[in-house]
Amino acid sequence: MFANFLIGLREGLEASLVVGILVAYLVKTDRRELLAKVWIGVGLAVSVSLAAGALLTFGPRGLSFEAQEAIGGVLSIVAVGFVTWMIFWMARTSRQLKGALEGRMDTAIVAGGGSLVVLAALAVGREGLETALFLWAAAKATDNSSQPLIGGALGLAVAVALGILIYRGAVRMDLGKFFRWTGGLLVFVAAGVLAYGIHDLQEAGILPGIANKAFDVSSTIPPDSWYGTLLKGTFNFSATTTWLQLVAWVAYVVPVLTLFILTVRPKKAATPRTATSQNPSTPAHAAP
Amino acid sequence: MRHLLPSLALAGLLFVVAACTENDTKSEAGAVKVSSTDDACELSSAEAPSGNVLFEVTNDGSQATEFYVLAEDGKRIVGEVENIGPGLSRNLVIQAEPGNFFTACKPGMVGNGIRSSFTVTDAGK
Repeated sequence: MFANFLIGLREGLEASLVVGILVAYLVKTDRRELLAKVWIGVGLAVSVSLAAGALLTFGPRGLSFEAQEAIGGVLSIVAVGFVTWMIFWMARTSRQLKGALEGRMDTAIVAGGGSLVVLAALAVGREGLETALFLWAAAKATDNSSQPLIGGALGLAVAVALGILIYRGAVRMDLGKFFRWTGGLLVFVAAGVLAYGIHDLQEAGILPGIANKAFDVSSTIPPDSWYGTLLKGTFNFSATTTWLQLVAWVAYVVPVLTLFILTVRPKKAATPRTATSQNPSTPAHAAP
Repeated sequence: MRHLLPSLALAGLLFVVAACTENDTKSEAGAVKVSSTDDACELSSAEAPSGNVLFEVTNDGSQATEFYVLAEDGKRIVGEVENIGPGLSRNLVIQAEPGNFFTACKPGMVGNGIRSSFTVTDAGK
Protein backbone atom coordinates (compact mmCIF):
# COMPACT_ATOMS: atom_id res chain seq x y z
CA MET A 1 0.00 0.00 0.00
CA PHE A 2 2.87 2.33 0.81
CA ALA A 3 4.43 1.89 -2.65
CA ASN A 4 1.10 2.84 -4.27
CA PHE A 5 0.82 5.78 -1.87
CA LEU A 6 4.23 7.05 -3.03
CA ILE A 7 3.24 6.74 -6.72
CA GLY A 8 0.13 8.84 -6.09
CA LEU A 9 2.13 11.40 -4.11
CA ARG A 10 4.81 11.68 -6.81
CA GLU A 11 2.33 12.08 -9.64
CA GLY A 12 0.36 14.78 -7.83
CA LEU A 13 3.04 16.89 -6.15
CA GLU A 14 4.32 19.07 -8.94
CA ALA A 15 0.88 19.98 -10.27
CA SER A 16 -0.27 20.83 -6.79
CA LEU A 17 2.83 22.97 -6.19
CA VAL A 18 2.37 24.98 -9.40
CA VAL A 19 -1.37 25.47 -8.86
CA GLY A 20 -0.76 26.41 -5.19
CA ILE A 21 1.70 29.13 -6.20
CA LEU A 22 -0.54 30.36 -9.00
CA VAL A 23 -3.55 30.68 -6.70
CA ALA A 24 -1.43 32.40 -4.03
CA TYR A 25 -0.24 34.87 -6.66
CA LEU A 26 -3.75 35.75 -7.79
CA VAL A 27 -4.96 36.12 -4.21
CA LYS A 28 -2.00 38.24 -3.14
CA THR A 29 -2.31 40.57 -6.10
CA ASP A 30 -6.04 40.87 -5.49
CA ARG A 31 -7.10 39.19 -8.70
CA ARG A 32 -9.49 36.66 -7.27
CA GLU A 33 -11.81 36.97 -10.27
CA LEU A 34 -9.17 35.12 -12.31
CA LEU A 35 -9.25 32.14 -9.93
CA ALA A 36 -12.18 30.71 -11.88
CA LYS A 37 -9.93 30.37 -14.94
CA VAL A 38 -7.44 28.37 -12.92
CA TRP A 39 -10.12 26.01 -11.65
CA ILE A 40 -11.56 25.62 -15.15
CA GLY A 41 -8.11 24.56 -16.35
CA VAL A 42 -7.66 22.15 -13.45
CA GLY A 43 -11.15 20.68 -13.89
CA LEU A 44 -10.65 20.29 -17.64
CA ALA A 45 -7.35 18.45 -17.17
CA VAL A 46 -8.70 16.15 -14.47
CA SER A 47 -11.86 15.19 -16.35
CA VAL A 48 -10.18 14.73 -19.74
CA SER A 49 -7.42 12.60 -18.16
CA LEU A 50 -9.84 10.42 -16.20
CA ALA A 51 -12.12 9.95 -19.22
CA ALA A 52 -9.26 9.15 -21.60
CA GLY A 53 -7.72 6.80 -19.03
CA ALA A 54 -11.01 4.95 -18.57
CA LEU A 55 -11.54 4.69 -22.31
CA LEU A 56 -8.07 3.25 -22.82
CA THR A 57 -8.37 0.87 -19.87
CA PHE A 58 -11.87 -0.50 -20.44
CA GLY A 59 -12.56 0.40 -24.07
CA PRO A 60 -11.78 -1.61 -27.18
CA ARG A 61 -8.57 0.28 -27.92
CA GLY A 62 -5.36 0.93 -26.00
CA LEU A 63 -2.69 3.51 -26.63
CA SER A 64 0.63 2.52 -28.15
CA PHE A 65 3.67 2.96 -25.97
CA GLU A 66 5.28 5.46 -28.36
CA ALA A 67 2.10 7.53 -28.42
CA GLN A 68 1.85 7.69 -24.63
CA GLU A 69 5.49 8.73 -24.28
CA ALA A 70 5.13 11.26 -27.08
CA ILE A 71 2.05 12.79 -25.42
CA GLY A 72 3.84 12.98 -22.05
CA GLY A 73 7.00 14.39 -23.65
CA VAL A 74 5.35 17.01 -25.85
CA LEU A 75 2.92 18.16 -23.12
CA SER A 76 5.87 18.49 -20.73
CA ILE A 77 7.86 20.66 -23.09
CA VAL A 78 4.82 22.86 -23.84
CA ALA A 79 4.22 23.08 -20.07
CA VAL A 80 7.78 24.35 -19.60
CA GLY A 81 6.96 27.20 -21.97
CA PHE A 82 3.89 28.15 -19.97
CA VAL A 83 5.57 27.88 -16.56
CA THR A 84 8.43 30.05 -17.87
CA TRP A 85 5.85 32.59 -18.99
CA MET A 86 4.32 32.42 -15.49
CA ILE A 87 7.74 33.05 -13.88
CA PHE A 88 8.41 36.21 -15.87
CA TRP A 89 4.85 37.39 -15.67
CA MET A 90 5.19 37.28 -11.88
CA ALA A 91 8.69 38.79 -12.01
CA ARG A 92 7.42 41.73 -14.07
CA THR A 93 4.77 42.40 -11.48
CA SER A 94 7.38 42.27 -8.76
CA ARG A 95 9.46 44.85 -10.62
CA GLN A 96 6.52 47.19 -10.96
CA LEU A 97 5.92 46.81 -7.25
CA LYS A 98 9.28 48.40 -6.56
CA GLY A 99 7.50 51.67 -7.20
CA ALA A 100 4.92 50.61 -4.62
CA LEU A 101 2.12 51.33 -7.04
CA GLU A 102 -0.06 48.27 -6.74
CA GLY A 103 -2.58 49.64 -9.21
CA ARG A 104 -0.07 49.32 -12.01
CA MET A 105 0.00 45.56 -11.68
CA ASP A 106 -3.09 45.44 -13.82
CA THR A 107 -1.08 45.94 -16.99
CA ALA A 108 0.91 42.81 -16.30
CA ILE A 109 -2.13 40.68 -15.65
CA VAL A 110 -4.34 41.75 -18.52
CA ALA A 111 -2.67 39.29 -20.89
CA GLY A 112 -3.16 36.48 -18.42
CA GLY A 113 -6.79 35.44 -18.92
CA GLY A 114 -6.80 32.70 -21.56
CA SER A 115 -3.25 31.65 -20.81
CA LEU A 116 -4.24 30.94 -17.22
CA VAL A 117 -6.66 28.22 -18.29
CA VAL A 118 -3.99 26.60 -20.47
CA LEU A 119 -1.31 26.95 -17.80
CA ALA A 120 -3.44 25.30 -15.11
CA ALA A 121 -4.62 22.61 -17.53
CA LEU A 122 -1.05 21.78 -18.56
CA ALA A 123 0.29 21.77 -15.01
CA VAL A 124 -2.29 19.17 -14.06
CA GLY A 125 -2.75 17.39 -17.39
CA ARG A 126 0.91 16.90 -18.22
CA GLU A 127 1.07 13.63 -16.36
CA GLY A 128 -2.68 13.34 -15.99
CA LEU A 129 -3.09 10.47 -18.44
CA GLU A 130 -0.41 8.36 -16.76
CA THR A 131 -1.91 9.08 -13.34
CA ALA A 132 -5.38 8.18 -14.61
CA LEU A 133 -4.11 4.91 -16.11
CA PHE A 134 -2.48 4.11 -12.77
CA LEU A 135 -5.67 4.90 -10.85
CA TRP A 136 -7.89 2.87 -13.20
CA ALA A 137 -5.49 -0.07 -12.92
CA ALA A 138 -5.80 0.25 -9.15
CA ALA A 139 -9.58 0.42 -9.49
CA LYS A 140 -9.55 -2.76 -11.57
CA ALA A 141 -7.46 -4.48 -8.91
CA THR A 142 -10.13 -3.91 -6.25
CA ASP A 143 -11.51 -7.37 -7.12
CA ASN A 144 -8.53 -8.73 -5.21
CA SER A 145 -7.73 -5.92 -2.83
CA SER A 146 -8.76 -2.30 -2.41
CA GLN A 147 -5.43 -1.41 -0.81
CA PRO A 148 -3.72 -0.22 -4.03
CA LEU A 149 -6.58 2.16 -4.83
CA ILE A 150 -6.73 3.49 -1.28
CA GLY A 151 -2.95 3.91 -1.25
CA GLY A 152 -2.82 5.72 -4.59
CA ALA A 153 -5.77 7.97 -3.72
CA LEU A 154 -4.27 8.82 -0.32
CA GLY A 155 -1.00 9.75 -2.05
CA LEU A 156 -2.83 12.13 -4.37
CA ALA A 157 -4.77 13.57 -1.42
CA VAL A 158 -1.53 14.25 0.48
CA ALA A 159 -0.09 15.92 -2.64
CA VAL A 160 -3.12 18.22 -2.77
CA ALA A 161 -2.82 18.91 0.97
CA LEU A 162 0.84 19.88 0.51
CA GLY A 163 -0.21 22.22 -2.30
CA ILE A 164 -2.66 23.88 0.11
CA LEU A 165 0.12 24.23 2.71
CA ILE A 166 2.38 25.84 0.11
CA TYR A 167 -0.45 28.21 -0.76
CA ARG A 168 -0.95 29.10 2.90
CA GLY A 169 2.76 29.72 3.42
CA ALA A 170 3.04 31.73 0.23
CA VAL A 171 0.12 34.09 0.94
CA ARG A 172 1.66 34.99 4.29
CA MET A 173 4.98 36.08 2.78
CA ASP A 174 5.53 39.72 1.93
CA LEU A 175 5.25 40.36 -1.80
CA GLY A 176 8.92 40.87 -2.63
CA LYS A 177 9.93 37.71 -0.86
CA PHE A 178 7.03 35.83 -2.40
CA PHE A 179 8.08 36.70 -5.94
CA ARG A 180 11.72 35.87 -5.38
CA TRP A 181 11.11 32.53 -3.69
CA THR A 182 8.28 31.18 -5.79
CA GLY A 183 9.88 32.41 -9.02
CA GLY A 184 13.23 30.85 -8.16
CA LEU A 185 11.49 27.62 -7.16
CA LEU A 186 9.51 27.53 -10.40
CA VAL A 187 12.69 27.89 -12.50
CA PHE A 188 13.91 24.59 -11.07
CA VAL A 189 10.49 22.97 -11.36
CA ALA A 190 10.31 23.94 -15.04
CA ALA A 191 13.87 22.74 -15.70
CA GLY A 192 12.94 19.37 -14.19
CA VAL A 193 9.83 19.16 -16.36
CA LEU A 194 11.97 19.89 -19.43
CA ALA A 195 14.44 17.12 -18.51
CA TYR A 196 11.51 14.79 -17.89
CA GLY A 197 9.98 15.59 -21.27
CA ILE A 198 13.32 14.96 -22.97
CA HIS A 199 13.50 11.58 -21.24
CA ASP A 200 10.01 10.63 -22.43
CA LEU A 201 10.98 11.48 -26.00
CA GLN A 202 14.20 9.51 -25.60
CA GLU A 203 12.24 6.51 -24.36
CA ALA A 204 9.93 6.75 -27.34
CA GLY A 205 12.98 6.80 -29.63
CA ILE A 206 12.11 10.28 -30.95
CA LEU A 207 15.30 11.69 -29.40
CA PRO A 208 18.53 9.65 -29.19
CA GLY A 209 20.79 8.77 -26.28
CA ILE A 210 18.54 6.90 -23.85
CA ALA A 211 21.44 4.63 -22.83
CA ASN A 212 24.05 7.42 -22.43
CA LYS A 213 23.83 8.09 -18.71
CA ALA A 214 25.43 11.19 -17.23
CA PHE A 215 25.10 9.82 -13.71
CA ASP A 216 23.37 7.09 -11.75
CA VAL A 217 22.88 7.75 -8.05
CA SER A 218 19.97 5.37 -7.62
CA SER A 219 21.82 3.50 -4.86
CA THR A 220 22.09 6.74 -2.83
CA ILE A 221 18.66 8.13 -3.73
CA PRO A 222 16.41 5.14 -4.46
CA PRO A 223 13.46 6.25 -6.58
CA ASP A 224 11.06 4.31 -4.37
CA SER A 225 12.23 5.96 -1.13
CA TRP A 226 10.17 8.79 0.36
CA TYR A 227 12.90 11.36 -0.30
CA GLY A 228 13.44 10.06 -3.84
CA THR A 229 9.68 10.44 -4.31
CA LEU A 230 9.67 14.02 -3.01
CA LEU A 231 12.63 15.02 -5.22
CA LYS A 232 11.06 13.40 -8.25
CA GLY A 233 7.62 14.78 -7.45
CA THR A 234 8.74 18.40 -7.11
CA PHE A 235 11.87 18.88 -9.22
CA ASN A 236 11.58 15.76 -11.39
CA PHE A 237 14.96 14.71 -10.12
CA SER A 238 15.83 11.41 -11.74
CA ALA A 239 18.47 9.25 -10.06
CA THR A 240 19.56 8.04 -13.49
CA THR A 241 19.90 10.98 -15.84
CA THR A 242 21.02 10.91 -19.47
CA TRP A 243 23.52 13.38 -20.94
CA LEU A 244 20.88 14.96 -23.13
CA GLN A 245 18.65 15.53 -20.08
CA LEU A 246 21.52 17.07 -18.12
CA VAL A 247 22.53 19.36 -21.00
CA ALA A 248 18.92 20.49 -21.49
CA TRP A 249 18.54 21.13 -17.75
CA VAL A 250 21.69 23.29 -17.54
CA ALA A 251 20.85 25.06 -20.83
CA TYR A 252 17.50 26.04 -19.31
CA VAL A 253 18.50 26.89 -15.73
CA VAL A 254 21.54 29.07 -16.47
CA PRO A 255 19.95 31.67 -18.79
CA VAL A 256 16.46 31.60 -17.21
CA LEU A 257 17.72 31.92 -13.63
CA THR A 258 20.13 34.70 -14.64
CA LEU A 259 17.39 36.59 -16.42
CA PHE A 260 15.05 36.03 -13.49
CA ILE A 261 17.55 37.35 -10.96
CA LEU A 262 18.23 40.39 -13.14
CA THR A 263 14.49 41.04 -13.37
CA VAL A 264 13.65 40.82 -9.66
CA ARG A 265 16.86 42.36 -8.32
CA PRO A 266 16.40 45.75 -6.68
CA LYS A 267 17.27 48.33 -9.32
CA LYS A 268 19.63 50.53 -7.32
CA ALA A 269 22.36 48.01 -6.71
CA ALA A 270 24.83 50.85 -6.10
CA THR A 271 23.59 51.41 -2.56
CA PRO A 272 22.72 47.95 -1.33
CA ARG A 273 23.68 48.21 2.33
CA THR A 274 22.82 51.70 3.48
CA ALA A 275 20.64 52.05 6.51
CA THR A 276 17.70 53.41 4.53
CA SER A 277 17.48 50.44 2.13
CA GLN A 278 18.12 47.64 4.55
CA ASN A 279 14.64 46.35 4.02
CA PRO A 280 14.38 46.17 0.24
CA SER A 281 12.26 43.05 0.33
CA THR A 282 9.24 44.90 1.62
CA PRO A 283 8.78 47.77 -0.79
CA ALA A 284 5.01 47.59 -0.49
CA HIS A 285 5.24 48.54 3.18
CA ALA A 286 7.26 51.61 2.32
CA ALA A 287 4.26 53.27 0.76
CA PRO A 288 2.84 56.01 2.96
CA MET B 1 -4.70 33.07 -27.37
CA ARG B 2 -8.45 32.61 -27.85
CA HIS B 3 -7.93 29.85 -30.39
CA LEU B 4 -5.02 28.21 -28.63
CA LEU B 5 -6.95 26.00 -26.24
CA PRO B 6 -9.37 24.50 -28.78
CA SER B 7 -6.57 23.99 -31.31
CA LEU B 8 -4.40 22.27 -28.73
CA ALA B 9 -7.31 20.07 -27.68
CA LEU B 10 -8.16 19.18 -31.28
CA ALA B 11 -4.55 18.40 -32.18
CA GLY B 12 -4.27 16.22 -29.09
CA LEU B 13 -7.50 14.40 -29.87
CA LEU B 14 -6.51 13.70 -33.49
CA PHE B 15 -3.16 12.44 -32.31
CA VAL B 16 -4.71 10.11 -29.75
CA VAL B 17 -7.17 8.68 -32.27
CA ALA B 18 -4.39 8.14 -34.80
CA ALA B 19 -2.11 6.53 -32.24
CA CYS B 20 -4.55 3.98 -30.90
CA THR B 21 -3.83 0.29 -31.07
CA GLU B 22 -6.33 -2.51 -30.95
CA ASN B 23 -7.16 -3.60 -27.43
CA ASP B 24 -8.89 -6.74 -28.70
CA THR B 25 -5.77 -8.89 -28.39
CA LYS B 26 -7.09 -9.07 -24.84
CA SER B 27 -9.68 -11.61 -25.83
CA GLU B 28 -7.20 -13.76 -27.70
CA ALA B 29 -5.23 -16.44 -25.95
CA GLY B 30 -2.07 -14.71 -27.16
CA ALA B 31 -1.56 -12.47 -24.14
CA VAL B 32 1.76 -12.97 -22.39
CA LYS B 33 1.24 -12.90 -18.66
CA VAL B 34 4.08 -11.41 -16.66
CA SER B 35 4.48 -11.76 -12.93
CA SER B 36 6.93 -9.29 -11.43
CA THR B 37 8.04 -9.86 -7.85
CA ASP B 38 10.81 -8.27 -5.80
CA ASP B 39 13.38 -10.75 -7.11
CA ALA B 40 11.86 -12.48 -10.14
CA CYS B 41 10.24 -11.75 -13.47
CA GLU B 42 8.24 -14.68 -14.81
CA LEU B 43 6.68 -14.74 -18.27
CA SER B 44 4.00 -17.23 -19.26
CA SER B 45 5.73 -17.60 -22.62
CA ALA B 46 9.17 -16.71 -23.99
CA GLU B 47 7.84 -16.16 -27.49
CA ALA B 48 4.90 -14.70 -29.36
CA PRO B 49 3.80 -14.36 -33.00
CA SER B 50 4.57 -11.05 -34.71
CA GLY B 51 1.98 -8.28 -34.88
CA ASN B 52 0.34 -6.86 -31.77
CA VAL B 53 1.77 -8.51 -28.70
CA LEU B 54 -0.03 -7.91 -25.42
CA PHE B 55 1.78 -8.21 -22.11
CA GLU B 56 -0.35 -8.34 -18.96
CA VAL B 57 2.04 -7.33 -16.24
CA THR B 58 1.04 -8.07 -12.65
CA ASN B 59 3.05 -6.84 -9.70
CA ASP B 60 3.07 -9.69 -7.20
CA GLY B 61 5.84 -8.09 -5.15
CA SER B 62 5.94 -5.38 -2.51
CA GLN B 63 7.84 -2.68 -4.45
CA ALA B 64 6.58 -0.57 -7.34
CA THR B 65 7.81 -2.05 -10.60
CA GLU B 66 8.22 -1.28 -14.31
CA PHE B 67 8.21 -3.59 -17.32
CA TYR B 68 10.26 -3.10 -20.48
CA VAL B 69 10.59 -4.77 -23.83
CA LEU B 70 14.01 -3.97 -25.27
CA ALA B 71 15.45 -4.46 -28.74
CA GLU B 72 18.19 -6.98 -29.46
CA ASP B 73 20.90 -4.47 -28.48
CA GLY B 74 19.43 -4.39 -24.96
CA LYS B 75 19.19 -0.59 -25.09
CA ARG B 76 16.48 0.62 -27.43
CA ILE B 77 13.08 0.57 -25.73
CA VAL B 78 10.39 -1.12 -27.79
CA GLY B 79 7.73 -0.75 -25.12
CA GLU B 80 7.48 0.15 -21.48
CA VAL B 81 4.90 0.47 -18.73
CA GLU B 82 5.67 2.32 -15.50
CA ASN B 83 3.98 2.87 -12.15
CA ILE B 84 2.85 -0.69 -11.59
CA GLY B 85 2.25 -0.55 -7.87
CA PRO B 86 2.02 -3.70 -5.75
CA GLY B 87 -1.20 -5.57 -6.54
CA LEU B 88 -1.76 -3.81 -9.87
CA SER B 89 -1.97 -5.25 -13.36
CA ARG B 90 -1.18 -3.07 -16.33
CA ASN B 91 -1.11 -3.85 -20.03
CA LEU B 92 1.55 -3.13 -22.61
CA VAL B 93 0.84 -3.58 -26.30
CA ILE B 94 3.73 -3.53 -28.74
CA GLN B 95 3.78 -3.84 -32.49
CA ALA B 96 6.45 -6.46 -32.86
CA GLU B 97 8.39 -7.42 -35.96
CA PRO B 98 9.93 -10.90 -35.97
CA GLY B 99 13.23 -10.98 -34.10
CA ASN B 100 14.99 -11.28 -30.76
CA PHE B 101 14.14 -9.07 -27.83
CA PHE B 102 14.71 -8.77 -24.11
CA THR B 103 12.08 -8.34 -21.45
CA ALA B 104 12.91 -6.69 -18.14
CA CYS B 105 11.10 -6.15 -14.85
CA LYS B 106 12.43 -3.35 -12.66
CA PRO B 107 11.25 -3.85 -9.08
CA GLY B 108 12.15 -0.69 -7.13
CA MET B 109 12.51 1.16 -10.47
CA VAL B 110 16.33 0.86 -10.48
CA GLY B 111 19.07 -0.83 -12.44
CA ASN B 112 18.93 -2.79 -15.65
CA GLY B 113 16.09 -4.96 -14.43
CA ILE B 114 15.61 -8.70 -14.32
CA ARG B 115 16.08 -9.63 -17.93
CA SER B 116 15.27 -12.60 -20.11
CA SER B 117 15.27 -13.29 -23.85
CA PHE B 118 12.05 -13.02 -25.80
CA THR B 119 11.49 -14.18 -29.38
CA VAL B 120 8.91 -12.89 -31.82
CA THR B 121 8.20 -15.47 -34.52
CA ASP B 122 7.17 -14.58 -38.06
CA ALA B 123 3.39 -14.81 -38.36
CA GLY B 124 3.27 -12.91 -41.63
CA LYS B 125 2.20 -9.58 -40.12
